[in-house]
Amino acid sequence: MASVNPTSATTSPGAAAVDGARRVDGFVVATALAGLALLGALIWLEAPIDRLWLLLIGAGLGVALYHAAFGFTAGWRNLVTKRRSGGMRAQMLLLGIATVLIVPVLGFAGELGLAGISGTLAPVGTSLVVGSFLFGFGMQLGGGCGSGTLFTVGAGNVRMVITLAAFIAGSVLGTMHLPWWLDQPGFDPVNLVTGLGVVPAVALQLAVLAALAWWFARIERRHHGAVDRVILRRPENGWAATLFKGSWPLLWGAVALAVLNLATLVVAGYPWGITFAFGLWGAKILQAVGVDMAHWEFWTWDYPSLALKDSLLVNIVSVMDFGLLLGAMLAAGMAGRFNRASRRRLSAGPVASAVLGGLAMGYGARLGFGCNIGAMFSGIASASLHGWIWFACAFAGSLLGIRLRPRMGLEN
Amino acid sequence: MTQRRDYSRWRVLAVLFGLLVLILADHINSATFALNSGQGGVETSYSQLDESACAPCGAPCPSRREGDG
Repeated sequence: MASVNPTSATTSPGAAAVDGARRVDGFVVATALAGLALLGALIWLEAPIDRLWLLLIGAGLGVALYHAAFGFTAGWRNLVTKRRSGGMRAQMLLLGIATVLIVPVLGFAGELGLAGISGTLAPVGTSLVVGSFLFGFGMQLGGGCGSGTLFTVGAGNVRMVITLAAFIAGSVLGTMHLPWWLDQPGFDPVNLVTGLGVVPAVALQLAVLAALAWWFARIERRHHGAVDRVILRRPENGWAATLFKGSWPLLWGAVALAVLNLATLVVAGYPWGITFAFGLWGAKILQAVGVDMAHWEFWTWDYPSLALKDSLLVNIVSVMDFGLLLGAMLAAGMAGRFNRASRRRLSAGPVASAVLGGLAMGYGARLGFGCNIGAMFSGIASASLHGWIWFACAFAGSLLGIRLRPRMGLEN
Repeated sequence: MTQRRDYSRWRVLAVLFGLLVLILADHINSATFALNSGQGGVETSYSQLDESACAPCGAPCPSRREGDG
């Protein structure tokens, strides 16, 4: 997610007072709502009704991501460069809440009358390791992961538009090479629930997440003498103003994202994902200019080939991405900060890093079966081994990306 | 308190309108639009859970690829 806090990184009392006085941008709010209404009406007329609910869930995710500034990318970097662990601990909390909510629903789906749903599982092997490492590297240069790229684009960040364009290009390239990567050593998905049972799988995951959170807090305490209580901080501008205008406590963001991921599972039949749509959009563009995608093995597989032939309005991932973009735009309008991150002129270094980061993320997301959301968040929330391996390898790639950032003109 | 706007309203509307046109153009050329227009024998992607797939993107399982090979 975004490395630059879209609601401004300043959290001093003075800045909070200015934020509290900031007016709602009526034009941006009205435009975002009109966009949601128009797209919703099109979906209602032309697509199954569940896509309409998924558009709204996507919009809710966009609002939550923007208002909580829930940053995976910045959280990882802050732990490495500043030894601040708030972001990482918030992510462990998010994964813990999602584990408690989603693993039992998947484990007892039949008893709950949800027999058609399935978790996010994926193979474990060379493709996953290489892909997630590349993704972690790219997210530090690109300035955000899949959701971070989308919600900052929705909030009007021009640099992230470049990242998104490169992300799409990298994703298409990834679809070209994924079959070769799948032929390298690897094995079928490992579902911890199948091996251990629901309760032991939940207990094991919570224990690992708690141990990681404790370790991250220990690193911060050793370097700063105390742990910053960012997760549980009280809203600075009153509850109602904070809810609508932003600067949510991280706890609110974690709860909202986990609950909306559960809602996605129940409505769509599988948990939240983002990056399949990027490859699809790129493939549709190539197809529109005359490239025969039927020659690419990836686009002959059942799901991708059907998605390529069909409308974006029925593609679940695309519909949710559209909702996320418009939800983030709505939130930025409520906060009076639309396009604020683009005030400074772009120089060559940040543009080059956006391109390199976007390409690495796009290619990595296809090889690694998703991004921080589809592979890590939804993978771990489904008790899939691949989610944990994705997390470890992407963090390793992130370390390399963080080292490279200053050479590309980016601050750490 | 007056606030300086950080964007051009026309540019925002033009970008969103362009995206809407692209989505509509894609939809008009899609299987779902053909089905909604009364064409028979069209396969849509309404049910997107491919039970034989091993990943959300529809990738097959490594064990199946070894078998194919």
